[in-house]
This record gives sequence, structure tokens and C-alpha cells, in this order.
Amino acid sequence: MDFLDEIVGARYELIDKIVSKSVEKKLKQKTVSDLIDTVVLDKYLGIPIFLTLMWAVFRFAFDVSQCFSDAIASLFSIASNWAKLNIPCKVLASLVGDGVFGGLGFILVYLPPIIFVFVALGILEDTGYLPRAAFVMDRAMTKIGLHGKSFIPMLLGFGCNVPAILATRTIKGDVDRKISIIINPLMSCSARLPVYVLFAGVFFAGYEGAVIVSMYILGIVLAAIMATIVRRAFFSEELSPFLMEMPDFSMPSMRSVLSGAWLRTQIFLKKAATILFAGAMVMWYLTHFPWSATAGGKLIGNSYAALIGHVVEPLIRPLGLNWKAGVALLSGFMAKELVVGTFGLLYSGNVCAGIRHDFNPVTALAMMAITLIYLPCLGTVGVLKSELGEWKWVGFVVLYELVLAYVVAGLIVCFGRVM
Amino acid sequence: MRKVALAGNPNVGKSVIFNALTGAKQKVGNWPGVTVEKKEGVCRYMDVEFQVVDLPGIYSFTASTIDEKIARDYIINEKPDVVVNVVDASNIERNLYLTLQLLEMEANVVICLNKMDLAETKGYKINVKNLSKELKLPIVPTIAIKNIGIDELKRAVYFAMKSKSKIYLKYNDKIEKIIYTIQEKIIKQNILPDYPSRFVAIKLLEGDEEIFKLTNLSREVIERWIS
Repeated sequence: MDFLDEIVGARYELIDKIVSKSVEKKLKQKTVSDLIDTVVLDKYLGIPIFLTLMWAVFRFAFDVSQCFSDAIASLFSIASNWAKLNIPCKVLASLVGDGVFGGLGFILVYLPPIIFVFVALGILEDTGYLPRAAFVMDRAMTKIGLHGKSFIPMLLGFGCNVPAILATRTIKGDVDRKISIIINPLMSCSARLPVYVLFAGVFFAGYEGAVIVSMYILGIVLAAIMATIVRRAFFSEELSPFLMEMPDFSMPSMRSVLSGAWLRTQIFLKKAATILFAGAMVMWYLTHFPWSATAGGKLIGNSYAALIGHVVEPLIRPLGLNWKAGVALLSGFMAKELVVGTFGLLYSGNVCAGIRHDFNPVTALAMMAITLIYLPCLGTVGVLKSELGEWKWVGFVVLYELVLAYVVAGLIVCFGRVM
Repeated sequence: MRKVALAGNPNVGKSVIFNALTGAKQKVGNWPGVTVEKKEGVCRYMDVEFQVVDLPGIYSFTASTIDEKIARDYIINEKPDVVVNVVDASNIERNLYLTLQLLEMEANVVICLNKMDLAETKGYKINVKNLSKELKLPIVPTIAIKNIGIDELKRAVYFAMKSKSKIYLKYNDKIEKIIYTIQEKIIKQNILPDYPSRFVAIKLLEGDEEIFKLTNLSREVIERWIS
């Protein structure tokens, strides 16, 4: 016995009757929006168009922001030198020059690309393309036997995992929602972008856009794989069918795009003034103390950071990463922007040269992939707990991410060796 | 203070309507126990002020998502004086599905028929008067983003508040007979007296887990009642 179908049918029957008496529909030819849809939702063209647009987003963000980033970088470098020369107390001079201008400042160098990605994604969102992108990706995933459904709301939240996880409340069914939350940290948020930009800029000059997009795609594919595994392993429940709403295409309004980007930028700046500032201070302390042993930060190999780094080094050594990468990754747990901030402190003043010395293109890719996957940041852990309810699930997320990051980075390194 | 709830599908312009009704007098909090945002505000018309609550955007009241459960619980338990149902005029069939369910819950509904301009460009010609007669509900056409129809909406809410009416629309005879059978049993056995009996009957027929739990009834019992 189930009268659900009959009741739903009865409601629509009545609606039909009411509407037929009061609404007339003039036949209209296809709108422009419909025509665009036949192209962007095309079976074969859909994915190439999506990839091209994403590539364009990052290429645009990278190219346009470069001069701004360079300007910010030289500004902080001047400020850093000035502080070190003019502040009489050596510790204070290092705190301001290295910690604030070198560490925090090095994060802010990546503010321009972040802003431009916000703007570009805002334009895609405003035109109505993003839901289509989600639809196209979902179709491709389903075809290869993966459940793409769960990341649909998340594609809309490339900005940050925290609001994206909160957005899962619109998902029908407890199981679907849980899975969406569990895989959400794999969606690449804007905090990981600085790492991509830094490494892609040093090792893949000319192909930055493509390399950065590949990280985002990697995140999406891993999310679909994990969704399938989690569903089979824990829930054994069939997929429920779902409807997706496609708003009509429209011209983006510059005002809403810019105000949206500004809002997200404000959130970033607030974060920079609070948690990133605090994180940079902690990392400054760890890289410059004990003060006498490091000779005021000149011998970072004797610092507390090195001590901690050497503890984790055996773990990541097989991946071709050294203790400095380990320290940077550990700091990223507070907030992923701190990964580049820590590099700024470790290679004080000359990050690009330092990175070129310690990494190669293969390990750079591994480093980027690890940053994408390895751990949800502290803020995400908080919202995971509040939305999943049980620590058991939060623990599961942390664990699978660590393992997955290791496996993926390992595969990249192995593959790189063969090539 | 009198309470008005805003209900409707996602993407119908509900928050624009909410802002237009309440202006700057807003308060953002959370629904109890969950991290879903709850927006409240105060609207003034003539001599009365009423509290406006923005319910989450939903397609149905099945309680299978948190949003649906919040909206359903609010309407059933808080019994707002008026429910403003924001309907997307350019997508009227799907939107009315929620309207019918609001009526099942014995809500005092005023329809805000939004996006009238879009409906027109899409080629719909809506006879608002006929629609209002068929639904037995007051309907106010609006274009919220241009602030058109907001005063009329406030007036409609004002009048709806004064004359509360329980409207119900009949479905086809076959299903009505079954609903009636269940409804009779519910009333006789005094099951969930605080809930609208028609709503409970329909939800039991739909196989709604939540209502099964609340009533301590099972599918087998319902089956026996019908046969």
C-alpha cells in the first residue's frame, strides 16, 4: 500500500485543471537561453566547454593579477627590509620584518589572484553557467559509474568549504547529505589557490592555467570516487532521483559580480587580520627560536620548526618532500593559506629560488595535490562536526583525506619517475 | 504580535519580498537545533505591525530535508496568522504544488504572484482573477525586484489577518473518499488533535515516517482502515 503516487497525481491533476482555466500559453520560439543550452549541455561538447571555461578563469586570474602580486611582493619586501634596519630591538625587528611582512605579507601576495578568481567565478555564476557545469560533470561521472550528484551544490562553493558544507542542507535524504558533506573538503577552496599559483608559477611557466585547473578537476574526480566508495561501504542505499533547476542564462550584472567578489574579499581580509596573522606569528616563533641557536632566524635548521619538521620528514621523504614542506603542511591545518605563509618564513625573502632548489616539477605537483587533499582546515573541522553530528565521522574524513593524499601524491611521484 | 510566514520554492524571489516587506528591521538567527539561517523582521501596515518570518525555500512538505522539516514544523506548530506563498508566475504549475500542500495544512494563505514580467516574456498570459477564484485565495501580482505590488501585498496580508478562513480544495473523488475515511478515524480516536486532521490523513497515506512516529500508527493499521 502506498498512496503517495496517487496523492501526488491528484494534486497535479487539480493544478492542471486550475491552470487551464486561468493561464494561457502563447507558443513562443526558442529563447536565446535555450539555444545556448543546446550547445553547453551537449553530450560531446559539454565537458570540453566546461574545461575550457575553467581554464580561462584561472588563466585570466593568473595573468591579470601578476602585476598586482609583484607590486605587493616588492612593497612587502621593502617594508621588511626597512623594519629590519630601523627597529633597534633585534627580536622585534625580526617579528615585524620576517613574521608580519615576510610571513603574512607573503600570503597577501596571493590576494590578487584570489580576487580575480572570485570575479571570474562570479561572472560564470551570474550568467547561470555554474549549475550547467555541475550538470555536465554529473552526467560524465554517472556514466563512468560514479555518483556525481553529491557535489552539485559544492561546485557553486569553490570559494570556501565552510559555506559549501552548510549549503548541503538543501539535499534530500540524510544519506545523500552526509555523503556530500564527507566529500566536500575535496573541493578546492580559494585558500589552496596560493599554493597552486606559487608552484605553477615556478615550475610550469606558461601552463599555469592548465595546471591549476587540473587540481580543481582532480578534486572533483576524487570527490566522485569517494562518494561512490562511501555509499557502497556504509550506506548501501540506492541513489534517489533528483531534479535540478537551471535558471535562464542572463547577462551578468557587473554590480552583483563585484559586490559578491568584494564580500568574499572582505571575508578573506578579516581572516588575514585574525587567524592568518596569529598563524604567521606562531610560525615566526617556531622558525626563529631558540633565538640564539638560529642566530636570529639565520639558521632555520636549528629552530623548533626544524625539530618538528624532522619528526614528520620520514613520512613524506618517500614522496620527495623534505622537512620544510612538512612544516608548511602542518601549519596549513590552521588555515591553508598558511602553507605559503610558512614557505615565506622558511625561505625568508627568496621563496622562488628556495622552492626551485627543494622541489622539482614532479614533487611540485605532489605538493599541490597534497595541499588539495590532505586535511580539512580547522574551520572546516568545526563545521563538519556541527553538520555530521558525530566525531566518528569527522575522524573518518580526516583519516581518508590523509590516506588519499598520500596515495595520490605517491602515484604522482611514481609516475613522474617512470616518465 | 501577529505572525506572517513567507513560504515558497527556491529562486522565486522570496528574500526580495522579505526585504521589501520588512525594510531595515531585520534579525538573523538560527532555527532551533540546526545551523539553518532564520530571518525575521517587522512589517508595518496602517495601524498594525506584524512579525515576518522567512521560511527556507522548498518544493514540498515531505520533511525529507531539514529545510522542509523546518518549514512544516513552523506552520503546524506556530500557526502563523497568514502564510504568504510566493509563487513564480513564470513557473506556475510546479509552484502551485506547494500551495496545495499549504492548504492541506490549513494555512491562511495569501498568494504573492511574483516575476509577472518574466512570465509575460515567456509567453504566459495569466488571468489573475480566474486563478484567484479557482484557488479560492487572494492573489497579489508583483514584480518584487522593481518594488511593484508590495503595498498591495501588505494590504492583502492585512485583510487576510482580519478574516481568517479555512479553505480546502478537493482532489478527485476516489482519493477524497480514502482521505475522508482516514480523517474520520483520526478525529474519532483523537489522534494528534493539534494537527489539521486532513493533513495528518494525507501524510499517513503518503507514508510519511515522521507522522507515523508521532501517531504511533503503522502502514498495516492504515491499510486495515481503508479496506
